[in-house]
Amino acid sequence: MKFSIMRDRLLDGLNDVMKAVSSKTTIPILTGIKIDISSEGVTLTGSDADITIQTFIPVEEDGKEIVQVKEPGSIVLQARMFNEIIRKLPTNEVVVEVSEQLQTRIQSGKSDFHLIGSDASEYPLLPDISADRQITLPADLLKTIIRETVFAVSTTESRPVLTGVKWEIKDNSLVCIATDSHRLAQRKVTLEQLPSEEMNVVIPGKSLTELSKILSDSPHPVDIFMTNQQVLFKTPDVLFFSRLLEGNYPDTSRLIPEESSTIVTINGKALLQGIDRASLLAREDRNNVVRFSTIDSGTVEISSNSPEIGKVEEEIQIDSFEGEELKISFSAKYMMDALKAIDGQEVVIQFTGAMRPFTIRSIHDDAILQLILPVRTY
Amino acid sequence: MNGRGRIIFHIDMNSFYASVEQAYHPELKGKPVAIAGNPSERKGILVTCSYEARAKGIFTTMAVWEAKRQCPNLIVLPPNFERYRHASKAMFDILRSYTDLVEPVSIDEGYVDVTEIAHGIEAIQLAEMIQTRILHELDLPCSIGIAPNKFLAKTASDMKKPMGITILRKRDVEKMLWHLPVIEMHGVGSSTSNKLKEIGIATIGDLARSEDYLLKANLGKNGLRLKNRAQGIDQREVDPNSIYDTKSVGHSVTFPSDLMILSELQAAIEELCTRVAKRLDAKKLAGHTVSILIRDADWHNYTRSKTSQNAIFKKKDIEVIALSLIEKHWNGNPVRLLGVTVSNVVDQSDTVEQLSLFTYEKYAKEEPIRKVVEELQYKFGKDMITKGIKHAKKTTYESKTSFSKDFLDDHRERG
Repeated sequence: MKFSIMRDRLLDGLNDVMKAVSSKTTIPILTGIKIDISSEGVTLTGSDADITIQTFIPVEEDGKEIVQVKEPGSIVLQARMFNEIIRKLPTNEVVVEVSEQLQTRIQSGKSDFHLIGSDASEYPLLPDISADRQITLPADLLKTIIRETVFAVSTTESRPVLTGVKWEIKDNSLVCIATDSHRLAQRKVTLEQLPSEEMNVVIPGKSLTELSKILSDSPHPVDIFMTNQQVLFKTPDVLFFSRLLEGNYPDTSRLIPEESSTIVTINGKALLQGIDRASLLAREDRNNVVRFSTIDSGTVEISSNSPEIGKVEEEIQIDSFEGEELKISFSAKYMMDALKAIDGQEVVIQFTGAMRPFTIRSIHDDAILQLILPVRTY
Repeated sequence: MNGRGRIIFHIDMNSFYASVEQAYHPELKGKPVAIAGNPSERKGILVTCSYEARAKGIFTTMAVWEAKRQCPNLIVLPPNFERYRHASKAMFDILRSYTDLVEPVSIDEGYVDVTEIAHGIEAIQLAEMIQTRILHELDLPCSIGIAPNKFLAKTASDMKKPMGITILRKRDVEKMLWHLPVIEMHGVGSSTSNKLKEIGIATIGDLARSEDYLLKANLGKNGLRLKNRAQGIDQREVDPNSIYDTKSVGHSVTFPSDLMILSELQAAIEELCTRVAKRLDAKKLAGHTVSILIRDADWHNYTRSKTSQNAIFKKKDIEVIALSLIEKHWNGNPVRLLGVTVSNVVDQSDTVEQLSLFTYEKYAKEEPIRKVVEELQYKFGKDMITKGIKHAKKTTYESKTSFSKDFLDDHRERG
């Protein structure tokens, strides 16, 4: 096997696949990156068994030669080491050559490395994914959906299925839901073309976070394929596979209150800033709790009281108020996360009581719904 | 103040439990006496022993069987905590008859700031008087360290035992301490000592002369604190109120025979959680962090902890976390000792509970009552009405092993 390649282009590819490589893997071969050379170009694969990322660097791009293939073949090289070496090479042209016994030579300018590789046939095969259950989303929308939901997944392993985001395809829309049981984020997207059947998968939050780092902010389509165990996100040059989470995702639809006893319409940005200020004192406290009280039809009060630090009160103008008076305490962090996901527009907050979940929606559309459970004070 | 700095006493009761037993049973005087958690169980360990026993090579933490072999006429007694508690209280009462600046540290030691009541030579006379009174009135020996700060006072009280009075001046530090290995210093245990060794610090003198950045890089803030101590500098004040700061509530148990089966460990953890929950309840505290301590048969200790968002105090909540920690982290080696601690504690009344989607409904029922309570509090003030009944503080001790800290409740009640 022998090829030469433009260093910057190789680095871009490595940058993507390295996101899947973990030093903590229990499968030794997965500490490496698989490099496959064919007459079409270079394929790089990295994996931690949960996530697998494959990227393709074509021989020619926009009429420019990127790769020169002298002899096709495959090799697995230590990921961190290979990445570091490529990053520090002196010139933009890199020649990689594998001789007998997996001896790999990397040359650039006057620099000459010899690395011992591993047999590519030991590297796990890619998950097998058939094309029958597929949807397509623009990359920038996919990124937005991830940003709006993934923050709400559980970070503890006590209910593993909650560390993922549920994607449900039903009635010509995709509904993404994440909850750590204390708050919930839900995003609805109307799909243009529908798959043949309803689908319901739970994608690990970590996978989506990594995927989002690889996606561009362009409207280029991303094809998404799902099976019972795997999901594949496919762009022209990157394949991103993720294991799905097993277990029943709790039915959250009935948890979202249908009625409300207090409805407040407020500028999301003003509320976000007010809560940010009020939480300055509460932040020291592990719970970071602020209190939200309706004052009159035009004002709410945000307050916080930490016995050993001090207290703060702030009044915020509201656009409208309907229903009963209310005093409710909640985590400042959850509220700020939710408001950031809605992006500073006018929001409607619907409460049903001081000990019950409340929802936050944009006034303009209900594509995004954020739900937060309050805090019970003693 | 006289401008020459402070004068601090550290009073350290000599082999306290054994001495109290000897005071109650004068026939035990002059004999090797040891206290063991459970003398009938061979693997029990000695909690303390008299100087007569120490002379025969017996030491604290020795296994009962080993001690008996070493010294066949050793008298091993079970602990009698109520007795020690009374003796401790009487001892601190004597100290408080001189000044209010008394800071109990544990059941058998404390600091006294005598700056305002004794000058120069009077300090030694005062120490002699205190030592004599404790001996005559309580029949208990103690050692007293006299120094310009807490660290040196504690170091000094350790220098002559039993019945010593030792003065340690800052100018003596170089001569008295610098040649000693760092592990001799209070606040330096084996792990700190090893870290220091790695950066070439073997003696207290090395530590005093070491570079700040090196200590900070390897030991963090504690490194600089230790360097100050090694130079004889310690700014901590004697704080009579420090006993109010409970930082953690824990309980541990040493097993008569090593545990090797997960179900046995789980049963032990459940029992420990029950005790910790009772003590948290007695103190009206709740904590965010649950840790478990495992000591295996080779005396290798490891702790694992988990911090949760809600401060917890109920047995069930502690148990769920403690059990998951043990299942996740037990390496399968035989276990000699298990401990469960709840730390990051706050008063239960200051805690809040983040409700969960799947359980909030049981609290939702409280809404009407809370509304009434809130309205009343708004009109008449916060203390006018509160939820539930505040139980009178329990006076019995819910724990035996953490006794040396729980006794502090006695002092708390003075206020």
